[in-house]
Amino acid sequence: MISILLSIPFLSLITVIQTSVVSRMPLLQGTADLVMVVIIAWALQERVKHPWQWAITGGILTDFFSGLPFGIYTLSYLTLTLLARLLGRRLWQFSFLIQLFLTLLGTMLIHGMSTLVIFLQGTRLEIISVLQSITLPSLLLNLMLTIPVFIIMGDLANQVYPQKTEL
Amino acid sequence: MNNQFPNSIRIFVFSLLALGVFLLALGGYIPSLTRAVLTPLTSTQTWVSRQFKGLEDFFSAPRDVALIRQENEELEAENARLEAQIVELQQQLLEYEILSALLDFARAQPEHKYLGATVIGRDPSPFLNYIIINRGSDDGLLRGMPVVSQNGLVGRVAQVTAKGARVQLITDPSVRINVQIQPSQSEAVLTGTITGDIRLEQIPQDAGVSPGNLILTSGLGGNYPANIIVGQVTSVRSPEYALFQSASVQPVTDFKDLDIVLVITNFNPVEASPLIPTPETP
Repeated sequence: MISILLSIPFLSLITVIQTSVVSRMPLLQGTADLVMVVIIAWALQERVKHPWQWAITGGILTDFFSGLPFGIYTLSYLTLTLLARLLGRRLWQFSFLIQLFLTLLGTMLIHGMSTLVIFLQGTRLEIISVLQSITLPSLLLNLMLTIPVFIIMGDLANQVYPQKTEL
Repeated sequence: MNNQFPNSIRIFVFSLLALGVFLLALGGYIPSLTRAVLTPLTSTQTWVSRQFKGLEDFFSAPRDVALIRQENEELEAENARLEAQIVELQQQLLEYEILSALLDFARAQPEHKYLGATVIGRDPSPFLNYIIINRGSDDGLLRGMPVVSQNGLVGRVAQVTAKGARVQLITDPSVRINVQIQPSQSEAVLTGTITGDIRLEQIPQDAGVSPGNLILTSGLGGNYPANIIVGQVTSVRSPEYALFQSASVQPVTDFKDLDIVLVITNFNPVEASPLIPTPETP
């Protein structure tokens, strides 16, 4: 319950940081997706019980701020949460490696969907330019964010779901 | 001694001594004598004084250190306060310069009504070039209103909420703006690109375009008011067998450092979509 109550103010703050700070610090044309990295890191924490709620909240908030058709971020974050839970259960020893892998996959997924939507809206796109100017710089920034975010979300999960000790 | 030597002899002896000293002084022997006497005295005095000073410092030092530390803390606090004040004043100066430039722009085009807005964010998607401003429908903003900076055209309002609005920049890849090239007055279409650059398309082959030409909005299409400066031509591509020329444009607005913008509130964009015929289905 605390996790659900925490998700709305926490992810609102993360979305505000994303739009006000992170999106204003581009590398070429690419920017980091802090909300995505946070949601993946949260879903990979073993103790977390409600990662879906976080994915939906983060997705709706990001969709609200974005000019892309509503639902793209929510759908992407839900897919990444599903993959994080599936991989996290099977390879729980390598959760940080899964975080890196899902960050890479998530960046490609969201950028692929964005490219498709913009193309369908009638805008000409050069795939090489998209990769060079947007996707690869964004991927680099996202991967740089994974280490601090993974540590912080681990600490937060420990606070929200304290370990019960048996007497 | 008083009994052995009468006063007259004592006076005589002292007089002789005084005379001797006087003669020694006249002969220049006194300084060497005084030096010989005073040097060990001065050395002793220096040593004693140094030891005393050491003892004094030893006993008074803790009190002084505490005082110095307190003064240091006070000065550091004062320094921090002054530094914060400097940063605040620099920020105010920057804002003043921007507002002054915006006022100049507004005065140069008095036919429009303007509403100032602060840029508070950007679109989370790197594929879209949108900014978020702190004015919305509560302030009278409507979808389609043009947005300018002190330098020229920025974009137009794409979506409005009660307290904020999203502005589509002219660098967005889906943007199409009818423009005019000065001084030739040729018409062209300005488009954004995914890389954030802008370029001119559909420039007639016979239009005289060269680097340095100014690009202004033409007002055609009714989406933007006419004669707002957009940028400057940097290079022209004119393929031999193509129907149109194209050109790269350097925008006058620095989109990375946008802090304050003006929304033109008395411009009503024309909604052209009802006028475009749609193919009838059989």
